[in-house]
Amino acid sequence: MSTVRHVVVGGGVAAASTVATLRSGGFDGELVLVSDDDTVPYERPPLSKDFLEPGSPPTPTLIREPQWYADHQVQTLLGVKAQRLDPRARRLKLSTGESLSYDGLVLATGVRARPAPGDASDRILTLRSLADAKLLRSRLASAEHVAVLGGGFIGCEVAATAVGLGKRATIVERADVLMNKALGHSIGAIFTDIHRAKGVELHLNSVVLGVHDTGSSAVVRTNHGSIEADLVVVGAGSLPNVELAAEAGIVTDNGIVTDQFCRTNVPNVYAAGDVASSYHPFYNQHLRVEHHDTATRHGAAAARNLLGHDEPFLEAHWFWSDQYEHNLQRTGRAEGSDEVVIRGSLDDLKFSAFALRDGRIRSVISLNQPRDVIAVRRLLFVDHDVTADKLRDQAMPLNRLRSRMPASATAEERTS
Amino acid sequence: MMTDDATRRWQDTQHIDDLWEGDMVGVEIDGTKVLVVNVDGAVRAFENKCPHQAWLLDEGDFDGESITCLRHMWTFAADTGAGINPDDTTLKSFPCRVNADGIIQVDVE
Ligand SMILES: Cc1cc2nc3c(=O)[nH]c(=O)nc-3n(C[C@H](O)[C@H](O)[C@H](O)COP(=O)(O)OP(=O)(O)OC[C@H]3O[C@@H](n4cnc5c(N)ncnc54)[C@H](O)[C@@H]3O)c2cc1C
Ligand code: FES
Repeated sequence: MSTVRHVVVGGGVAAASTVATLRSGGFDGELVLVSDDDTVPYERPPLSKDFLEPGSPPTPTLIREPQWYADHQVQTLLGVKAQRLDPRARRLKLSTGESLSYDGLVLATGVRARPAPGDASDRILTLRSLADAKLLRSRLASAEHVAVLGGGFIGCEVAATAVGLGKRATIVERADVLMNKALGHSIGAIFTDIHRAKGVELHLNSVVLGVHDTGSSAVVRTNHGSIEADLVVVGAGSLPNVELAAEAGIVTDNGIVTDQFCRTNVPNVYAAGDVASSYHPFYNQHLRVEHHDTATRHGAAAARNLLGHDEPFLEAHWFWSDQYEHNLQRTGRAEGSDEVVIRGSLDDLKFSAFALRDGRIRSVISLNQPRDVIAVRRLLFVDHDVTADKLRDQAMPLNRLRSRMPASATAEERTS
Repeated sequence: MMTDDATRRWQDTQHIDDLWEGDMVGVEIDGTKVLVVNVDGAVRAFENKCPHQAWLLDEGDFDGESITCLRHMWTFAADTGAGINPDDTTLKSFPCRVNADGIIQVDVE
């Protein structure tokens, strides 16, 4: 009898957490991680923040030390791309020319940055990988003026870091506020003010028409004129790496489509992390998010399901962003909510904005008030009863919102 | 155990009556930031510093079982300090005890 072999494709947190959970969950067969990155899985969040500062260590924060993979008999094939998948033969063709058979396969191929417009140039950069961040870090060190195209999270974080390093930073954004898509207009407007107050130059309502490298600088043409900078960072969103799956006949739709157990439509093939568009039972729809914590938990869930646990992935999505001294967090989804309630102080930049519907909290965005987020994360999918007045009252602890257990259940508990 | 105890440098923090089950508090001992936790009546002391990005853990959340750092939600088992998410990290722990007078004492050396 040959040993069972599971293969994980990807080198991000989702892949790292899949292999770790397979091992901690008792899988003792062969385990192979295939990543086209040259480094064992590392943390991406610092890459737009501390890592860019010249004084911080030039090495990435690894999710696990290389020794861990050796100790746990996880074979890491680094700098190797999984090129073709033949689900019928259960084989994966690698860029090395070799092919790898598998019993279970987890695709955690993540996303890539939407490419920069125009020609390749080392003045016009995107940011996704460690290699991208190293290049940006070195270019940033000698730049005086950085133009950031796109006022989403990565763009805003890069601008905040650049300003912190004493650089001039300009953000070009199509909408009239920053982070509009992720935070909505009113919270986006607060962040817009924060960046403006820190000295970031903002070109809002501006559409980029083209970017080119003049040989001594980079010029961004917009519908409102041109911006000349030493360096352009393009934060124009991302594209899920679905090609491997799609070519193998796996259903994709803005991501690799999975059910609540991380399973694709093809037997023995799972998907997790940023690349996966997973059915979420609470929201009754497929959702693909690009959040670190979700990717970690999703990878672990894929591993448990591969081990036969039939555990639905029911997490509340949660993410954070650190910009300047501010910590922003969000959990839940605001769609379909009909009321927004503020707890805390907008002026002091210490508040939470709750989106409500039918006496339930649908989501919360907190600025420098993360305690509310953890409370909401515990409430989102359980019964609770809330009013705007209760939420506004900072003296009322949020954990009191949880509906009381029925009296009989309480009595039962007491007697046991 | 006895000799071990004798060589320790116990330093007073606060009275156990002021740290209820499910409570945690941040204290400073000889410049070391310490987190003191009452887990089901047992007192534990950890370095008050998240292994992720050094955030103060007493600003975090303690639900009686696990401690969550609110900066990026890393969680730790309060009785051992072992990481729950992620599960390959551990809080640095310090020996601690409650003396006969009910004072919680910690050795940070
Ligand atoms: C700069 C930056 C800052 C961020 N900051 C935050 C933050 O503050 N908070 C937050 O919640 N989230 C943040 N995120 C998002 C978070 O990092 C992602 O959600 C997370 O990395 C997703 O992990 P993943 O494993 O699903 O995918 P990825 O991290 O994208 O990893 C996918 C991996 O698969 C590899 N791969 C792809 N195709 C193949 C193939 N065919 N063969 C072999 N290997 C392949 C890729 O090279 C890559 O290593 C940030 C992301 C970036 C880029
Ligand atoms: S600093 Fe504690 S979780 Fe990041």
